[in-house]
Amino acid sequence: MIYADKKTGVIVTGATGKQGAFHISLMNEYARTVGGRGVVAGVSPGRAGQEVDGVPVYNTVRDALREHDAACSVIFVPAFAAADSIMESANAGITLAVAITEHIPVHDTMKAISFAGMNGCSVIGPNCPGLISPGEIKLGIMPAHLATRGNIGVISRSGTLTYEIVDELTKAGLGQSTVVGIGGDPVIGQTFADVLARFEDDPQTKAVAIIGEVGGSLEEEGAKSTDLPIVAYIAGVSAPPEKRMGHAGAIIEGGEGDARSKIERLRENGVPVASRPSEIPALIKKLI
Amino acid sequence: MKLLEYEAKKIFGSYGIPVPRGVLIHSPEDLESGVAESLGDGVVLKAQVDVGGRGKAGGILMADQGSLAGTARDLFGREIKGIPVREVLVEERISIEHEYYVSIAIDRSSRKALILFADSGGVEIESVARENPDALRKASVPVILHDVPAFMLRELRGDAPKEVEKVINRLYRAFCEKDALLAEINPLVSTPSGIVAADAKLIVDDNALKRQGIEQNRDLSERERVAEEHGFSYVELDGEIGVIGNGAGLTMATLDLIEFYHGKAANFLDVGGGADQERVRHAVSLVAGVSSVRVIIVNLLGGITRCDDVARGIVEAGVHQQIIVRLAGTNEDLGKEILAGKGYRMMDSMEDAVRAAVEESR
Repeated sequence: MIYADKKTGVIVTGATGKQGAFHISLMNEYARTVGGRGVVAGVSPGRAGQEVDGVPVYNTVRDALREHDAACSVIFVPAFAAADSIMESANAGITLAVAITEHIPVHDTMKAISFAGMNGCSVIGPNCPGLISPGEIKLGIMPAHLATRGNIGVISRSGTLTYEIVDELTKAGLGQSTVVGIGGDPVIGQTFADVLARFEDDPQTKAVAIIGEVGGSLEEEGAKSTDLPIVAYIAGVSAPPEKRMGHAGAIIEGGEGDARSKIERLRENGVPVASRPSEIPALIKKLI
Repeated sequence: MKLLEYEAKKIFGSYGIPVPRGVLIHSPEDLESGVAESLGDGVVLKAQVDVGGRGKAGGILMADQGSLAGTARDLFGREIKGIPVREVLVEERISIEHEYYVSIAIDRSSRKALILFADSGGVEIESVARENPDALRKASVPVILHDVPAFMLRELRGDAPKEVEKVINRLYRAFCEKDALLAEINPLVSTPSGIVAADAKLIVDDNALKRQGIEQNRDLSERERVAEEHGFSYVELDGEIGVIGNGAGLTMATLDLIEFYHGKAANFLDVGGGADQERVRHAVSLVAGVSSVRVIIVNLLGGITRCDDVARGIVEAGVHQQIIVRLAGTNEDLGKEILAGKGYRMMDSMEDAVRAAVEESR
């Protein structure tokens, strides 16, 4: 597993909001089944003293960390304040901020990721489902029942498509070490290359599936950066240029970032690319 | 959202970037008051339409004061690549000594502002990069910096006039403060009286329109407008299979599978997270309202989304097209129960569902 394990303390910002509260209970339910620490504190300005699912709420990240030992924050704060919450987390000593929030202005994201980096904090997301290491920890909103513990790492720009592929892997008997949703925005914190570097140091992970989509070139850069056996799938082969396909980052601009050229470059680098999600398990089995 | 040229020029001008003198008119009659007389004898009329290759498509016309009214009537009567001309920017004609190119975009890989400057402008920057790479210079600036470092400005400028440095730095400030995804001047021209931005392009982050006080897209189709109202991500395509999914990646993958099995999708519609009965009903009705749609595939993975809600939404929409449903996840069995015996085809996997939809569409 990478980034965190069952001993990791977690705080949630935006804890008293609908999404925050709902997912605190799901994360804690998972923590109970695996014997993990789970969410130790919540943060919502002006709500100190309240509780969410038995978790104490504080006004600030600093206040929460004064009372609790935590290395990770999961951010459910609304878009206009989410970048600030990333920076607040980093400034208070959090080393991993997982930003679930969608629709953060991209300039805010760039600044927040820079600031976090200067304070030794890695950012996953934004606009991501978070991560799950089956049997260890769930950070974010991924449905836990589809994942099983095993040796395959998964890195994805998508949410539901990731669940689909994790389901395929599980059904094929391929359990997962860690599944990381890196987010669907044009600018994200941890990239394919960053997550792959973590997987390289993880003895549990034997092969990695990378789930990309149209827009940018992070998939190819990731594939070039690693010696791990990897298999890829790229969504958006049929996507028309200049149209945003749901994700802010899923857009073919100036002829760059289209799926076919991505697939071509991945194959040039020796990466097997599945043309359908259902082909992924078979391609992985060939590698390990 | 891409701003029109006159809007971008107004913003660039407010940052101290020299732009040609000009007036915006909404009809040829607007000229009768003499608003364009101060622009000098030679003028340029530029249709304010959001299309690429506007000049070649007949959207830019030259005139002098004598022929201005007639030329304006001509331009207002045109359609530029299918878009009617509703606004025209009338500008003074500038005498061009040299054309440059400057743009600032977001570099996803470095998470910085990427500044490009080229010694030859007025053409597509891709062709400069290909044919004359030495004329193109780049610099990456972390957007936490308020100004472009002076050494970068010197490197970018090369042998171009010193004034260019100021223009690049001002463009950078506009890029940062206006939440831009792209700020471009092509061409940036040198004239006997100095540097001028002859054209202007500014794309503002859709997620920042509110705080920038910019109204949402003006050129949405009726269906796109309805989709936006319900918070759907919606793109119209030209096939026969209506597609509804939850999550951008899953919906894209559904479209790709349709293509894989040689079908044609009519649209991309991502209902988003936590879709309830209402939203699903609206989504199905929206897609079914496209006359070319013969069959609809609904591919939803339940999580926060509950399959029984989805099923009720589908039934409530009551559309005449065949609907192929793939539901998995929370309350899957309840959902299937609601749909059973009502003529819907239910599939357990996304691939089976897509295959069935492609068959139905033939």
